[in-house]
Amino acid sequence: MASNPYLPAMATIQEVIQETPNIMTFRVTFNDPGYKEKFTFEPGQVGQLSAFGIGESTFVINSSPTRMDYLQFSVMRTGEVTDKLHTLKAGDQIGVRAPLGNYFPYEDMKGKDIVFVGGGIGMAPLRTLLYYMLDNRKDYGKMTLLYGARTPVDMAYQYELPDWLERDDLDTHLTIDAEYEGWEHNVGLIPNVLLDIAPKPKNAVAVTCGPPIMIKFTVQALAKLGFKDDQIVTTLEKRMKCGVGICGRCNIGTSYVCQDGPVYTYEQLKALPNEM
Amino acid sequence: MAKFITSDKVYAWLEELGQKHEVLAPRNEGDSIVFKPYDSKKGFNIEREATAPPKKACFPQSETLVEFSHIKDLENPEKVALDVKETIPTSSWVVFGSRPCDARGFTMFDRVYLNGKHVDVYYKARRENTFFITLACEKGETTCFCNWVGSGPSDPTGSDVLMVPVDGGYFLEAVSERGESILDSSLLEDGGSKQADADKFRAEADQSMGEARDLSKAPAKLLEAFDDMDFWEAQSAKCLSCGACTYLCPTCYCFNITDESDGVKGERIRSWDNCMSNTFTLEASGHNPRPTKAHRLKNRVGHKFSYYPDLHDGVISCCGCGRCIKSCPVGVDIREIVLNAIAYEAKEKADG
Amino acid sequence: MKNLEDLKKQIKDGLSELDVVIGWTDSFDPLHATPHFMRSEADVDKLKVDALCVHNLATYLPSLKGKKVGIVVKGCDSRSVVELLQENLISREDVTIFGFGCSGVVDQVKIRRAVGEAGMVESCEVSGTEVKLTVAGKEHKLPMADVIADKCQTCRYPNAVLSDQFVGEEIKPTASFEDGYKDLEEFEAKSTEEKFTFWLGEMDRCIRCYACRNACPMCVCRDHCVAQSRDPHWLSQEAHVRDKWMFQVIHAYHLTGRCTECGECQRACPVDIPILLFKKKFNKEIKEVFNYEAGLDPEATPPLQTFKIDEPTIKEKEW
Repeated sequence: MASNPYLPAMATIQEVIQETPNIMTFRVTFNDPGYKEKFTFEPGQVGQLSAFGIGESTFVINSSPTRMDYLQFSVMRTGEVTDKLHTLKAGDQIGVRAPLGNYFPYEDMKGKDIVFVGGGIGMAPLRTLLYYMLDNRKDYGKMTLLYGARTPVDMAYQYELPDWLERDDLDTHLTIDAEYEGWEHNVGLIPNVLLDIAPKPKNAVAVTCGPPIMIKFTVQALAKLGFKDDQIVTTLEKRMKCGVGICGRCNIGTSYVCQDGPVYTYEQLKALPNEM
Repeated sequence: MAKFITSDKVYAWLEELGQKHEVLAPRNEGDSIVFKPYDSKKGFNIEREATAPPKKACFPQSETLVEFSHIKDLENPEKVALDVKETIPTSSWVVFGSRPCDARGFTMFDRVYLNGKHVDVYYKARRENTFFITLACEKGETTCFCNWVGSGPSDPTGSDVLMVPVDGGYFLEAVSERGESILDSSLLEDGGSKQADADKFRAEADQSMGEARDLSKAPAKLLEAFDDMDFWEAQSAKCLSCGACTYLCPTCYCFNITDESDGVKGERIRSWDNCMSNTFTLEASGHNPRPTKAHRLKNRVGHKFSYYPDLHDGVISCCGCGRCIKSCPVGVDIREIVLNAIAYEAKEKADG
Repeated sequence: MKNLEDLKKQIKDGLSELDVVIGWTDSFDPLHATPHFMRSEADVDKLKVDALCVHNLATYLPSLKGKKVGIVVKGCDSRSVVELLQENLISREDVTIFGFGCSGVVDQVKIRRAVGEAGMVESCEVSGTEVKLTVAGKEHKLPMADVIADKCQTCRYPNAVLSDQFVGEEIKPTASFEDGYKDLEEFEAKSTEEKFTFWLGEMDRCIRCYACRNACPMCVCRDHCVAQSRDPHWLSQEAHVRDKWMFQVIHAYHLTGRCTECGECQRACPVDIPILLFKKKFNKEIKEVFNYEAGLDPEATPPLQTFKIDEPTIKEKEW
C-alpha cells in the first residue's frame, strides 16, 4: 500500500467477464510499472475498488498471488458503487486500494486435507486460496471443493468448472438448490450435500464462505462431521469505509474486520462478542 | 519553561500567534460557545467549557481526501482518463483556550490514527502542526468526570502549553517541546514568581472534583452484559439515537468516506460519522449488525470503556468532559450506564 | 405539580395493563429532568412533573408501536400524539394518555443567559412563579416569566387536548394565535440580505448531529432520512452551510401542516440554532391558507395530505 492509505492506485481494466446476471469479474493491472512490480498480497486479502464520484466498495482479490499477470475482483451488484462498477469495460480506469486485511492461514494448513465450501459469490475468496494451493499442490493433502449456487445460471467461474471437475488433485462437487434442466450434478442445499460428501475431519481444515445463512448451517454440518471450531475458517463481510482499522464501523468488539479480519477461524469468532 | 501573561495582553498575543499560525479560539455564537478562527473584533470566551470541543482542529467535520477529475480523450471520446490527487493539509494551527479534556481527547485519536498499522497522513499533518494552549479548569461542572478516567482539571496530557489563571493574568507552562516555541514572545514575562500561585490553583482544582469512581471492572463487565439485550434496551430506552453525543465528544473519531461529484470532477471526502446512526453499519444487502439504538449505544459505550481499553493498555477512550451528558437532548448519562454495567449481575446469577 | 400523587395513583392503577408508561424523573443535576420509562410501582414513585419536564415524550411512541404504552403529556405534547394518530403512526387503542394542564416549562438557554454558568447547579426549586437556583455557591432567584420557554408564553393549548386520564385542573389560556408569531413577523421584516446573513451565521455551527430530527415526534422517516441518503443524493456530507441549511428547509417542508410547534427540534439542538423559526413560518402560512392547526382533532386530515379540486382559500382559477 502507498504511504497514504486513502489514496487509490490507478489501474486499468484488462478484461471484464459477465459471470452471472448480477456478478461481473474485473481483471485489472496497475498503471505504474514500478508499483505493479512491487505489489504483493496474500490469499484472502481484500481491496477497495473506486468508482470515482460514487464511492468505494470492498472486494476480495480472488486471483492467486502465484499468478500475478493481473488482479481479479468479482463484483455482485447490490448498490450504488457496484451499479457503477458494472458499467465499466476493458480499458477503463479504476482506483484500487489493496491489499487490506489479513489472509487465510495457508502456512498452518500445510500438510492438511482441505475442504472448500463456497456458496454463490462466496466462491470468490475461496478461489484465491484454491489456486494458491493448486499451485503449491504438494504442500497440501486431499483437496475437496463443494461449490453451490441457487441455479446453474448463478454460478460464477463456469469456464473454470470443467477443469476443476476433471482434475485428479481436486475432488469437486457442484450443487444447486432445485432441479434444473440439463444439470448433471448435485441438487440440494450446500450443508445437506456436504453431509453426503462427508469429508473426514482428521487432520483437515474446512474453509467456507457464502451468505450468512449458508455459513451458519454449513458450520453446523461441519460440526456434525466432527470438525472442531479451530478447523473451520471463514471470511466475513461488513460495511467498511477506510479499510485500515480507523473509521470505526466494522468492529466486532475489539476486532476490526477490515484489518484484523476478514479471515477468522470459527473458534476466533466464538470468542468475539455476538454481533454478526 | 514558565511564563506569565497579563490578561490584557492575551489579545495581542493571539494576534501575534495569528501571524504565523491559524488560531482557533472559543467564542460566543448565539447561545453557544464554539471554536472559530480567532477574530479580534469578536474576541473569545474562555469563561467555561465550550459547547463543542476543538475536535475539528485535527479532525474537521469534513475534509477532502482526494480530488479527481474525469478527462475525456477528444480523439476518442470512449476513452476517459482519470486524474486523482491527494490533498494533504499544509498549514499550522494554534488552538487557544481548549480545556485539558479537549486536548487529551486527541491522545485517543493518536493511538488509532498515528500508532496503528496504517498512519492516517491527513490527521498526522494536522496533529503535528497544531499547538494546544490549554486552560486549566478551576473546578468541575456537575457533568465533569475527568478524574474518573485517569485525568484531572489541569492535566496537560496532549497539550503544548498549560495556562493557569493566576492573579492578574495567566501562568503559562510549556508542557511539550513544541510548546516552548509558542512561548517565545516578548509579550510574555518570566513566570517563575507565579509558579506557587499556579500550583495552588491546580491543587484546589483537583480537590474540587468529586470522588472518582473505579472503572477498572468496566471492560470485563461490559462484555459480560453484551448479550443481555434487556439490559441494553433499558439503558437506551430514552436515547434518541442522534449524533449529538458523538459529535461533541473529543474522543469520538469515527468517520464516513463519500464521493461528491458534479459528474466530471469531484472530491472524496471524509466526514464525521457516528455509531448511533442506523446507516453506520448498514450493509448493502440490507443486513445491519446493529439494527437498534440498543445495539448502537452498546457499541458506543463498549468501544470507549471496554474495546479501546482492551486494545490500548487499559486507557479509557473517554476524557470525562461531560458534553455527551449535558448536551444530550434527553439526558442520557454515560456515567450511569457504565456504573450500571459494572454493577451488572447476569440474570441467572441474580435469580439463583 | 400539585396533583402529582393523583397522577402516580392513576399510573399505578393502569400499570398492569400497560407494557410501559413514559414520564419524567430527576436527571444528572437539579436543573434537569429526564424521560423516564416506568414498568413498576417503584419506577412510578420516581415520577417527576414540573417545569423542568420539557421533553415531548410523544417522540418515543412510533418506535413503541405494537406495545401498550402509557404517556404523560403536557398540552403541546398531546398535540403530537393527536398528529401521530391522524397519520396512523400509532394506534389509539395501544396508547393510554395521562394528560394535565401545564403552566409552562423552563428554557434552559434562558437560564444559562441569566446565571452565566449553569454547569454547577447545586440546587433548584421550581414554583409557579420562580426558579430558585444555587449555582457554585451563589443563589439566583429567577422570575418564571423570564425563563419560561417562548412557546409557553404564547401557549393556547396548555391542557392535554386528548387524554384518557386528566389530572388536576384545566389551565385557562390567554394568548392569541397572533401572539405566537410576533417573533416571526419581526424576523420577516428584515431584508432578504439580513435574513440570509443571519442564517449563514447560525447554520455554520451546525454539527449535523440531527438531534433536531430525532427529537421531532413527527420526523418519522427515521432510518431512511434524506440527510444521509445516497439515492436520492440531495445533500452532500461536506460541512458546508449550504447543506446544513438545505436539511432544515427540507425538514420544515416535510412538517408543513404537521408540526405542532412543540419546539423539540430547537431545544434538542446542542448548539442552540433557532430552527423552530422555519417551522413557525410554515405553520403561519398553513393557518392563513387552510385555517388549520396541526394536532388538535384526531379525525382531521392534515391539509397537505389530502386534495380538493377547489380549495376555498386558494382561488386558483382567478389567478
